Amino acid sequence: MKIFKPFEVLKRSNKITIFTGWFMLLISIWVGCSFGDRHLFPTPSQVLMGFKDLWAGGLVVHIGSSIWLCTQAVFISTVISLILAYTSTIPFIKPSSNFISKLRYLPLTGITFYLSILINDARSLQVWVLVIFMTTFLTTSLMSMIKDIPEEEFNHAKTQGCNRWEILWEVVIKGRFDYVFELIRQNLAIVWMMLVTVESILVAAGGLGFLIKNNNKLGDNGKVIALQIIIVLLGITLDFCITKVRKLSFRYSNF
Amino acid sequence: MNYKLGDTILYLDKVSLGYPDTNHPDGYNVILKDVSLIERNVVRDNIEHTGQTIAFVGRSGRGKSTLFKALTGLVKPIDGKVLITDLATDDTEDAKEVTEGDVGYVDQKYTLFRHKTMYQIFMYALRKKTYLTKEEKNNIIINHLTEWGLLEHKDKYSCELSGGQRQRTAIVEQLLSSKCFMVLDEPFSGLDVGNIEKAKSTFNKVLSANELNTIIFSTHDVSLAVELADSIYVIGRPQGVDDYSTIVKHYDLKENGLAWTEFGEGHLRLVNEIKQILMNS
Repeated sequence: MKIFKPFEVLKRSNKITIFTGWFMLLISIWVGCSFGDRHLFPTPSQVLMGFKDLWAGGLVVHIGSSIWLCTQAVFISTVISLILAYTSTIPFIKPSSNFISKLRYLPLTGITFYLSILINDARSLQVWVLVIFMTTFLTTSLMSMIKDIPEEEFNHAKTQGCNRWEILWEVVIKGRFDYVFELIRQNLAIVWMMLVTVESILVAAGGLGFLIKNNNKLGDNGKVIALQIIIVLLGITLDFCITKVRKLSFRYSNF
Repeated sequence: MNYKLGDTILYLDKVSLGYPDTNHPDGYNVILKDVSLIERNVVRDNIEHTGQTIAFVGRSGRGKSTLFKALTGLVKPIDGKVLITDLATDDTEDAKEVTEGDVGYVDQKYTLFRHKTMYQIFMYALRKKTYLTKEEKNNIIINHLTEWGLLEHKDKYSCELSGGQRQRTAIVEQLLSSKCFMVLDEPFSGLDVGNIEKAKSTFNKVLSANELNTIIFSTHDVSLAVELADSIYVIGRPQGVDDYSTIVKHYDLKENGLAWTEFGEGHLRLVNEIKQILMNS
């Protein structure tokens, strides 16, 4: 059986069959676990009902709020991370970039305490919690990307008479700009996952995180699972869009 | 064939190369030691531009790539000097210590800027020639693209080129940034028979472009080295030494009467002789 052999290349029809099989198994597990007195999940019809209620209650506005919050955080943290990563090539700056990278081990509680002293506006606090969180991870990924550039590329630039700043510009900044999109895509999941925690800071601003927390408190599992599905699907869509933008913007980006 | 030797174009004086190593008493792990050589401009009767072809052969791990990095100014010698003709002055006797950018370097992977198309790569190579207008630069590039059979690929990125096209692009890029010296690290590795023939004609094109043009290449194919080069250096471990390499033998094929002639019995004998030396070094 080819489908059970490692590294086998399958026909498209076989891949569709495998995908359909797994999807059906997932639905069966869901349905199977949603009946009985001690059921694990809400039934599909409860989730569907929850989705309809959420839609009627202004789901689109909440999605918009979450995406806007996420966009602001991703934009700011990308700018900060790029500056930190690019300047990490300067020996004098490198220790500070390394320090920021290590902050990813700092618990969120520690960060929010100091931020709440510095920032009064709750919406800004939400943005900056996400920014700090993503910056530490994105800076780490970007620094690793720079470290992985083959020595041959630097040598090639040197033989083209590039000075050190030109090497930074041509090989690292311009030469790896498509990788930045890929790393944003990978790190976006961190921001997206943190949304629920962060959006509970400011209830008035709404958002998917607020909705899921609120419905969880009320024990409306149908809506909670509906929101989980929406959050996952939106995350996957954003992921797909960033990859598409990278492929369309950089023809040479063939990874 | 009659030839004359002109000014010195490449001079290595007791060059030692290595990497910092704190565990070593000298602070360096020496890879190559006491490498000395002199190469002079070759002028042949009735040939407009002869150029120089210098080959380095040696077994794996003998420091050929490290030596090439020193020849291109990418690695500073621990000891000794690498001098080349100073092209910035009119006097061809003037020499200078090699620095980054003086010598063209085409590595085994034919590394190019990944974010530039072939045309953009060539335009970038010409960026320091500020005395040329954009139009003039464009004409130079188009001429080179046509001559090297790359015109139809001018808008392709390096990842969209075949191995042979990448190699030619890398060589033209170095030519456009005005380098008489071109170091090619194993230019024939991974090429099929057809592409090896193309690479050979590439050598001839480079050499016939300017009198001072000098190709320095390394190869594991001793036959190719003997066929193409007019000077061959064998890099290896001297007798009784196992921690560094040096030049163990030099063959001047001009002197031997083997340079610029059809591959024959004499070449074959030399191939076998070099192979024997390689086995023992």
